[in-house]
Amino acid sequence: MTTGVAPAAAASRVPARRPLLNARRLTDVLSHAYIWLCLIVFVLPFLALLGYSFTGPGGTRPAQNFAYVVTSFGDNLLWSLKISALTLIINVVVSLPAAYAIVRHSFPGKRLLFSVLTLPLYVPGAVIGISLVLTYNFTYHLTTSMWGLVLAMALGTFPLMLTPLVVALKDLPVVFEEAAECLGATKWQTYRRIVLPLIGPGLSAGLLLCFIIVFNEYLVTLFVHPPGLTTAPLRVFNQIRTAGLSPTTAALAVTMQVISFAAVLLFFRLFGTRHLKGTYLL
Amino acid sequence: MSAEAGSLAPLLPATLHVPRRRERAARVRTLALLAPAILLALLFLYYPLVFILQMSFTEGSSFLSPGGPISTTENYVTILNRYLPNVFVTLQLAFLATAVDLVFGFPFAYILVRKVRYRTLVRGLMVFPMFGALYIAFGMRFILLPGGPATPILQALGIASTDALFSLPSVVFAMSIFTFPFMVLNIGTALSNVDPTLEEAAACLGARPWQTFARILLPLTRAGLVAGALTVFGWSIGTFAEPLLLGSINEQRALAWTVYQRGVVQTDYGLSTAMGTVLLIIAFVVTYLSLRYSRGALVE
Amino acid sequence: MSTVRLASLTKHYGSTVAVHEFDLDVADGEFVTLLGPSGCGKTTTLRMIAGLVDPTGGRVFFDDQDVTFLPPRARNIGFVFQTPALFPHLSVADNVGFGLSVKRAKKAAIAARVDEMLALVGLAGYGARLPAQLSGGQQQRVALARVLATDPRVLLFDEPLSALDRNLRDTLKYSILDLQRRTAKTAIYVTHDQSEAFAISDRIVVMNSGRVEQIGTQMEIYLSPKTEFVAEFIGANNGLAGTVTGIEGTGEAARTIVSSGELILRTRTLAPAAIGDPVVAYLRPEDVVVLQEGEPADFENVVEGTIERVIFEGPTAQLRVDVGGRQLRADVSGGRRLIFPEGRGRIRLGFNDLTLIPAEPPDTVSSAR
Repeated sequence: MTTGVAPAAAASRVPARRPLLNARRLTDVLSHAYIWLCLIVFVLPFLALLGYSFTGPGGTRPAQNFAYVVTSFGDNLLWSLKISALTLIINVVVSLPAAYAIVRHSFPGKRLLFSVLTLPLYVPGAVIGISLVLTYNFTYHLTTSMWGLVLAMALGTFPLMLTPLVVALKDLPVVFEEAAECLGATKWQTYRRIVLPLIGPGLSAGLLLCFIIVFNEYLVTLFVHPPGLTTAPLRVFNQIRTAGLSPTTAALAVTMQVISFAAVLLFFRLFGTRHLKGTYLL
Repeated sequence: MSAEAGSLAPLLPATLHVPRRRERAARVRTLALLAPAILLALLFLYYPLVFILQMSFTEGSSFLSPGGPISTTENYVTILNRYLPNVFVTLQLAFLATAVDLVFGFPFAYILVRKVRYRTLVRGLMVFPMFGALYIAFGMRFILLPGGPATPILQALGIASTDALFSLPSVVFAMSIFTFPFMVLNIGTALSNVDPTLEEAAACLGARPWQTFARILLPLTRAGLVAGALTVFGWSIGTFAEPLLLGSINEQRALAWTVYQRGVVQTDYGLSTAMGTVLLIIAFVVTYLSLRYSRGALVE
Repeated sequence: MSTVRLASLTKHYGSTVAVHEFDLDVADGEFVTLLGPSGCGKTTTLRMIAGLVDPTGGRVFFDDQDVTFLPPRARNIGFVFQTPALFPHLSVADNVGFGLSVKRAKKAAIAARVDEMLALVGLAGYGARLPAQLSGGQQQRVALARVLATDPRVLLFDEPLSALDRNLRDTLKYSILDLQRRTAKTAIYVTHDQSEAFAISDRIVVMNSGRVEQIGTQMEIYLSPKTEFVAEFIGANNGLAGTVTGIEGTGEAARTIVSSGELILRTRTLAPAAIGDPVVAYLRPEDVVVLQEGEPADFENVVEGTIERVIFEGPTAQLRVDVGGRQLRADVSGGRRLIFPEGRGRIRLGFNDLTLIPAEPPDTVSSAR
């Protein structure tokens, strides 16, 4: 682009840099602006609630709002955590062996089985809710136990544990297990010392996904929860419907989202983004 | 190996017995591993679904009555007669949310895949909507409250806040935020499988950006787009937070909420399960179509 | 430390026969190689010996113990895979000691053994490293140390060098042989690479399509192939298809006359043959002698032919020779290539070097042709 000649006339001076504003740069700037705009829109509800939670009659009182969260909604938060933990345990117990069988064993109808097992993801929450609440009432008589809620949550989310586990096991070359067996390890020793550590990231991806969904679940919970057991998201929902919007409710919603986001960050920090391939999160 | 019972032992070489026994043991092991998952699905999904299907053919809350349930197809007729607006609204909301996601999601995905370097940051922030439609609806409701943060902007645009708040657009907007990341994921995957040199080749051949998009990108990513759209649609038909918190009476007719109202609150089991079944059928049709288009084969 | 005996070992996958009634006796401390093209069943056989695959029929014996259906961990074997398969999350030392730690040996004993093994493979001091920090060759050596640590009675190798590059392969194969000799363990080795098999084996089993073609030493299978497949798979060979037209003489002078196209060949009778039998006469390229002008030609099987091409390869030169309508390849040392210009010449097909093999019916002929 540059020539060796230095022309005298100022008008013919060729600029050494491209003009500041040309089509390509404009597109780039607009593209990035678009991304950021969308990102802001994503975060906007959270930010709005965050701001709201800092307000109160007559001025800002964040500390009191969040203290209120702990005192009044503390039970709900604890229930949410408890239900989430139990659901995660059930999901692991159910999905880990199933994933192993699907990947390592051979049997007819694998695809069908996998579809059958992942179907809960495609059933609308309201349908799961109504079917379970009625079944609990009339057949299983599970309406007053928290296990009804836990099992409903497990049913809705175990496919999200199954999929990352299947992916992780598929990515684990069989030769490691064969080598371990030839070296004298029993099946249990092989699972414990070789398979489990090596699928740890995939397992954690499943745990993260399930946690986020169960922790923030309100829809099926609304249908199925035993009387007296209200999880935090459900509490938020009920509060809005009965008492309208209030800063304390917003504080609760903010707390829930912060905890969820912290879980996600923790996962990313520990394992990177690779292991969420094939799931809905990434 | 020598302790082989069975009358066939002297006739057949002993080796044939043991493989069969081991095969059977292996089958049992496989079944044992799959059993918890299958049991969970059977007991808590399939049986309940069959149960409500049955119930949808009974009248009202007659399931409880001492005389036994009364069979009827009235429920479905009632849906056709009185609740079509509900079905319509549900479909309409889902459709609009999907459309918004497609239109805004495609450029987002494109830029993300082709141009942006700080992808991890974007992915991190994209996580927020997935925490729950509830918070989105809640947040938006707050923003759009008369006297709330958005009021000055709306007034400047000449829109009354009440119009903005309890209306179709705000419901659709909230719904599309929730499902946006899923759409972007699907489109992004499809886009990353398109060789960027194809676009460069088109540009060198004189195609304008719009033409490249319409004639190259769109056809090649069609599968991902359809898969994404159908997934989003399927998720959207089952929601009730956004319609409830942000919608007018019309939007609050979304089927999911109606199911709750009729079923749990008013104990009209027959009707609510019939609605649930209708919802389920719609979801299944959508899912079936989406799976046909997507490349989701994780197992062989 | 064990003999290995395979009795009629068979594996069917549905209607496909992967391995067909394989019989083999491996002596204690012997190094036997299963050699053949991919898909011939050698790896399947090895895995049945290891217990990673259940046979459909037949038996496997270590010494006198029937191990046919024992799980791998109960057989006390050492299996070296195609990839090193070192456990990525364990250090080199933990990898090598794995077999001992699953048997709950004492830590001190494990550590001592690990050091001993690492020294044996020339990687002393590498214990703390992770597999990802080692080169391919080093990883494979750690894999060797790992299997030797448990003092197995049989060593099984599944093409352990095929993933490495040429130079590494050459050095490592001798390391394997050296380790085997020093530890005096019975070894069964699988490969498709002839030079590898020839370099390190005591005996070689040539396999094709699930069947054993021939079992013998290197010399036996090279100089006396028993089937068409072996004749063609091992080294280069010229095959002349024809029919037995005569048998004459006895003792040293016994000859079988074979008519192949326009050629009449006199061969040494190696197997009972009857007039009319279809046979293939094989002659190695180095045994196709092109006689020079003036060289004495009073041998049997001297025919007129045409040298069509001379291909100089460096150490050797290939002559493409046309004899009686058949194309033959003759190898001479590179320095002598100029003595054989293209054109008419006399070719000598030594009766001693011709190997007669009964022709197989067309549909069973191997693909190595």
